[in-house]
Amino acid sequence: MTSKHVIAAARTSSIKTRFARRFLRSLLKMKRSNRLGTGSQSNEEIKKRSTHIIKTAAYASMARAVGPRRTWSRSLLFKLRNPRRIQGVSSKRCLVTKENKNKRITRNKMQIISREPPSRADSLRKLVPGGDSMDICSLLEETAHYIKCLDTQVKVMQSIADYYSN
Amino acid sequence: MGMREKDKFELEKSNENPINHHSPGGMSSDWRFNTTCIPNSSLGLVPADNQMPVCRGDLVGAASCSSASVIDSFGPAMWEHPTNSQNLVFCDINVQNIASSSNTVGIGKGAPASLRNGIDRTLEMGWNPRNSILKGGIFLPNAPGMLPQGLSQFPADSAFIERAARFSCFNGGNFGDMVNPFGVPESMGLFPRGGGMIQGPAEVFMGSGMKSVSGGQAQKNVMNAGEASKDVSMSVDDMATEWSLLKNETKSESLARSRDEAKQGVGGSGNDSDEAEFSGGRGQDEPSMLEGNCGELSAKSLGSKKRKRTGQDAELDQAKGTPQSAEPAKGSPETQQKGDQKPTSTTSKGGGKQGKQGSQGSDQPKEEYIHVRARRGQATNSHSLAERVRREKISERMKFLQDLVPGCSKVTGKAVMLDEIINYVQSLQRQVEFLSMKLATVNPRLDFNIEGLLAKDILQSRAVPPSSLAFSSEMPMVCPPLHQSQPGLIPTAFHGMESHSDILRRTINSQLTPMSAGFKEPAQLPNVWDDELHNVVQMSYGASAPQDSQDVNEPLPPGHLKMEKLQMLLVDLFEAVGCPQQRVLRAWVARNLSLSWGFGFYLTTSVV
Repeated sequence: MTSKHVIAAARTSSIKTRFARRFLRSLLKMKRSNRLGTGSQSNEEIKKRSTHIIKTAAYASMARAVGPRRTWSRSLLFKLRNPRRIQGVSSKRCLVTKENKNKRITRNKMQIISREPPSRADSLRKLVPGGDSMDICSLLEETAHYIKCLDTQVKVMQSIADYYSN
Repeated sequence: MGMREKDKFELEKSNENPINHHSPGGMSSDWRFNTTCIPNSSLGLVPADNQMPVCRGDLVGAASCSSASVIDSFGPAMWEHPTNSQNLVFCDINVQNIASSSNTVGIGKGAPASLRNGIDRTLEMGWNPRNSILKGGIFLPNAPGMLPQGLSQFPADSAFIERAARFSCFNGGNFGDMVNPFGVPESMGLFPRGGGMIQGPAEVFMGSGMKSVSGGQAQKNVMNAGEASKDVSMSVDDMATEWSLLKNETKSESLARSRDEAKQGVGGSGNDSDEAEFSGGRGQDEPSMLEGNCGELSAKSLGSKKRKRTGQDAELDQAKGTPQSAEPAKGSPETQQKGDQKPTSTTSKGGGKQGKQGSQGSDQPKEEYIHVRARRGQATNSHSLAERVRREKISERMKFLQDLVPGCSKVTGKAVMLDEIINYVQSLQRQVEFLSMKLATVNPRLDFNIEGLLAKDILQSRAVPPSSLAFSSEMPMVCPPLHQSQPGLIPTAFHGMESHSDILRRTINSQLTPMSAGFKEPAQLPNVWDDELHNVVQMSYGASAPQDSQDVNEPLPPGHLKMEKLQMLLVDLFEAVGCPQQRVLRAWVARNLSLSWGFGFYLTTSVV
């Protein structure tokens, strides 16, 4: 048990280190490429954009630190790699499914569906990347790991922000 | 299916024979059958009921009807009728009993039931005892424990014994078949024996019984011989007698053919393991006996032998694997049915019943198992089991998540917990967003190489001691920005922070050492670091021990290399912890370095 704990701790710490390294590197890249904070855009826009970029970088570095072992990191990496494709596909799919639903589903069924509030599992699926295709068991498992990683991410980012803000 | 059939049978029985009402359980208890065997017994009873009319016509039914046992006996009688008018009925009964008695108890019950059948109680008794013995005795006719039950049954049967005697021979064959359906190896073995007995005509039985009587069996046989029915009842009283009866049946067959063979069969019956073989031998002997005795009887006996053989095979299969036994058992019922059909139209009914019984018998174990585990019908069994496994999995993960998500330990109910988890994930994601926003504003300041950044990041605790180190101070800082940027976030963020600190404390306390090691992994060896830290601390502690922490602090920080080193280490520790907090650090120092709380506090404060 103790060995397990040690291993788990080592892994998490290594993930943390890897994430910190990657994240800092990407931040540095951004800084060097001058993508952040420059341009003719207004301050608000720049802030928004840089926030988004940094957020994406943080998620990406965390997903890369975790590697393809986890479903959520895999799907996150996939999304990061092909954002457009996914968007297009998903929108198309959405359209198709909506049409089909409208055509196929009877009124009663629609009522039933509409009556049911989105289940908690579904809302969790939306939160965890790649959770759409998971059953509840694996969803919970992935959620646990995702929470761990998010926790680490927040910690590291917090420390970095604290460091830079001073 | 088996259950339903059983239920139906029970219903039928109850309707037909009031006595039968015992239902499977009641029957078994009344008959001394094993409760487990109840379903089988009930099944057997049902067929018996159906057969009863026929049997009665044959005389068998009438006798058996007399008491609760009557129902059972009727069933058997019915069964026997089909194959060998009387014997077949008995066999069926026995089979049923056996099936129900898959357990030894069941056997005992079966025996009583057969006795009740009474038509040829003696015969039935004999059969029942055998069956019961086989089942209860583990197929060993000799099993003494079985005898008592058999005895009780026997008395009831005694009245029918004579009739049974005739039928018993037939029944023996049926029994063998019945046994096969039951699928119990032991019972199977007994059946074969019983079958052998059955095959041997009542007269043969008597004679063979007498001859075979040698030893405990010899006694039983004698009982059987001397008014097979009465003796049978007597023998029934004694399990041994039952066994002997069974043996006698087998022996009778063998005797008809050859006493030696009969003896061998008996010996085989004596040994459960040998029962299968014996039954086989008996089955073979039986055919010969039957042939020798009467063309008709032989024909029937042949059928019975075939059945017995199949039953034996089934038994063997069962012995090998209980699941497989079901098929063999079914096969044996079919064979029995065929045999019954040949002898008489009634037999076909009996065979059908037997087949049902057999199937029921095979189903019974599963049903019971299911019942114990799921309390559900067979159809839902696998599903319910799978569902249970799934639920266990989910609850297990939920527990795991409970530890991860702060404030979830107090929550009961998965729905609420899921809500908490969702909230926590959302809060974490918002925190990431907020922090990235913060970093975006701060970003311009970035101007180091990565390693430098990492190092500085590690050392950040020094640079920003109060805010980063102190949880309390950190909280306000974090909260206001959150509030400004995202009003909704404040509570969650705060919550998350708090929880984070708690988690941190926990993890640090329990795993700080490994974490720190892992943290330093890339740059340095964790173990080395740990040791170094430990040594440094100890050294500094030794140096400072005598003095006050403050006093120590004054001299050490400035010039003491080791103290500096220690501070560096502590800084690294902070970094490892991620969100440095004085309390946590203090606790860790106090715990892991076996320093006093005060000294730990001094260390942290000095670092800060």
